Amino acid sequence: MDKTIIHAQKLQLSYKKGEPVIKNSNVSIHKNDFVFITGKSGSGKSTMIRSLYGELPLESGTLRVCGIDLDSISKQKLNVLRKHIGVIFQDYKLIKEWTVEKNVMLPLMIAGYSKNVCTMQAHKLLKHVKLLHKADKYPLELSGGEQQRIAIARALAHNPILILADEPTGNLDEYSSEVIWDLLKGAHHHLGTTVVIVTHKIPSTLGINYKHYFLDGGVINEVS
Amino acid sequence: MKSLKNHLSVIIPLFILLFSFQFVVMLERVVKSYEEKLFSDYSIVAVAISELDKDSLKKKIPLIKTVEILSTKKVINKFKDDFSPANLALLKTSLPKFYSIKLKSPPDEETLKKIVEKLKMIPSITKVETFEKSYTKIYNMLILAKTISNVFTVLIFVISVLLIFKQMEIWTLQHQERMYIMGLFGSPFWMKSAVLYKLVFIDSIISATGVAVVYYFLPKLEKFQESIKNIGLDFETFRLVDDSLVLLAISIFITLFSVTLVIFKQRTEVK
Repeated sequence: MDKTIIHAQKLQLSYKKGEPVIKNSNVSIHKNDFVFITGKSGSGKSTMIRSLYGELPLESGTLRVCGIDLDSISKQKLNVLRKHIGVIFQDYKLIKEWTVEKNVMLPLMIAGYSKNVCTMQAHKLLKHVKLLHKADKYPLELSGGEQQRIAIARALAHNPILILADEPTGNLDEYSSEVIWDLLKGAHHHLGTTVVIVTHKIPSTLGINYKHYFLDGGVINEVS
Repeated sequence: MKSLKNHLSVIIPLFILLFSFQFVVMLERVVKSYEEKLFSDYSIVAVAISELDKDSLKKKIPLIKTVEILSTKKVINKFKDDFSPANLALLKTSLPKFYSIKLKSPPDEETLKKIVEKLKMIPSITKVETFEKSYTKIYNMLILAKTISNVFTVLIFVISVLLIFKQMEIWTLQHQERMYIMGLFGSPFWMKSAVLYKLVFIDSIISATGVAVVYYFLPKLEKFQESIKNIGLDFETFRLVDDSLVLLAISIFITLFSVTLVIFKQRTEVK
């Protein structure tokens, strides 16, 4: 069985045609890997992650995520792929008109689970991120760290194969950041989820084995 | 409050649009009823020196519904006291035949002209009277009223649809972030847009019901009934079930079409 979750070959990404942000890059990430992609500001880290969940089309090369080819992918297939991915953003991207509970339920609702199952799973995850008591609150009533914990609960709700996190601790203080790292490590350790994190700095006290890609001059190189 | 304002921004133009549509329908019914009344009283009078063959006349002019001979008894009776029986008998035989010709449908000016020409081509017919002036004058006035009201309705329709479109754009922008986030987790199009469809569906029902209520109760007003009585018309202003369903269908179609179009327009950004 193929254990490759992300496979990119001669990948080229750009916002404007002919002006590539990522050039001729090769990446291979396997099941249960914990991966960091680092680089300077503007080096294309977020561009890379956006292409992994199909938000940015490829300019050239190949990119395969969870066994689905992203080159000229159809809308339907993209939706199927996204059902296997949990995404975490620096600005959380929670739906502010929805309660915390409903936000966590989102991936499950999309997957077509019954309301009871969605509620049960959401409560389980909220308990896990220690925010069950805030289930009826709205995102804007929570602190940044709490919002990010909700975003992680949402990303884990549907037991995704892959978690993509774009600067998940970028806006948080040290204590909140540690909580987020622990949650991501927990998902990786207990659920076997592949985790890909884009960040400008790898935490020193992580305590797990990880793969590290460094983005420099538009090219991705494996560091360790 | 904001939500009420958002709803009213769709309900009001939709209400105006449906109201003017129903007004045109009502006017159409008034015109039709008036046309029927006018037409039921209308006939062409033909004078012939000998008896006409009704069947061949109908064959020649298919628009003819009935051909009735007008009795000359009244005319002859007038001269009863002044004329001798022999003269009276002579008058009876020498009097031309008068025919009242009724048509199947109201003719326009052109058709009427053609009918007269055909009648005049029959050798025994000496004179044809169409009472064209009084008939066509009223008929043309009705057509003019219908046309003016149709033009106004088209204008109202265009303005209302533009206003609805604008509101749909505002709604879509308000929901764009939510739709985008849902899309990131693989939500299908219908699920992302379900809230918008629900909103327009509710507003469509409210607008259609509002217009139906107005048109249902309007004919019950004493003043309205009086004016209809005065012009001697008998028509159904509002058919509760049929008209309500048509209003609802139009309302739902317009709003669903607008919201779908606006969502598709912004779909690439929402992806």
